[in-house]
Amino acid sequence: MKWTGEDVALYERERDYIDTALLPLLPVAFGQGAKRLASGGELVGLIAAEVERQLKGRLFLMPSFVYFADEPRALLTERLADWTNRLRREGMKHLFYVTCDRAWQEGEEADRVWFVPVVPLESMGESYKHELVREQAAELLRFLIGRWAQE
Amino acid sequence: MSDNKHRVTRRQFLNYTLTGVGGFMAAGMLMPMLRFAFDPLLKDEAGTDMVAVADVKEITTEPKRFDFKVKVKDAWYESEEPKSAWVYKTDKGEIIALSPICKHLGCTVDWNTDKEHPNQFFCPCHYGRYEKDGTNVPGTPPQAPLDRYEYKVKDGKLYLGKAKPRKEA
Repeated sequence: MKWTGEDVALYERERDYIDTALLPLLPVAFGQGAKRLASGGELVGLIAAEVERQLKGRLFLMPSFVYFADEPRALLTERLADWTNRLRREGMKHLFYVTCDRAWQEGEEADRVWFVPVVPLESMGESYKHELVREQAAELLRFLIGRWAQE
Repeated sequence: MSDNKHRVTRRQFLNYTLTGVGGFMAAGMLMPMLRFAFDPLLKDEAGTDMVAVADVKEITTEPKRFDFKVKVKDAWYESEEPKSAWVYKTDKGEIIALSPICKHLGCTVDWNTDKEHPNQFFCPCHYGRYEKDGTNVPGTPPQAPLDRYEYKVKDGKLYLGKAKPRKEA
């Protein structure tokens, strides 16, 4: 499911079946590091979209959790915890995050964070890029399916 | 006298102009209507554009996944949508191209990934299953068989068109 009118209508009809939320954590910055973060965000977006395509019937791809890279970490953690609680209250039994920001790998929810390494997408050939996204998406897919079996 | 005969009267002049202008206006209104009426017919002919997906010799009796892309227009945003098909040959040599989209809620099914139920299509989301020919296994969430792609073979290549729901079962 995506955050579109059509998908949300389907979600409302079938919400018992859609018990997993995938939330991209998207840092933005201007000036130093902007290009790197944008590249990372682009890749996260592509991977998340591909995973959503394959697991459409159970996974809800949320609009990104966007923040400035230099926001105080404590406030961010608090805001994310609030989002997490809301999603859980809405019946999302499984909640996963996908990000290119390494900082999320340390924290309470670290085992629910899927980290995507930053690569310079803009200097890559189309077919190589495609291959990369497919591989990364397949890995994330295996991770999610594995966790479904466990939880 | 002869001058008078060829002279256009005010009444005639107005008649001609009004008919002319009226005609243009009527044509301006009718043309889009006619186009709307005939467009679906014209489109169907052009709409059979099929995409080359695989070499026929790559196709075996074991379902194999082929990825391809089709152009889609979503509002004003034109893009290429990735699609896949599970393709295999029956013992009689007939080609079957199945859409991997689960008929339950639209996940992508995989071939032979559920150890307890080998040689079936398996949906990882809610454990829906389908036989090799795409028929849904009763008792699992899907209520309909997998869609089949229209296909044609030309110059040793497999071309796929639209995925159509199967009527039976």
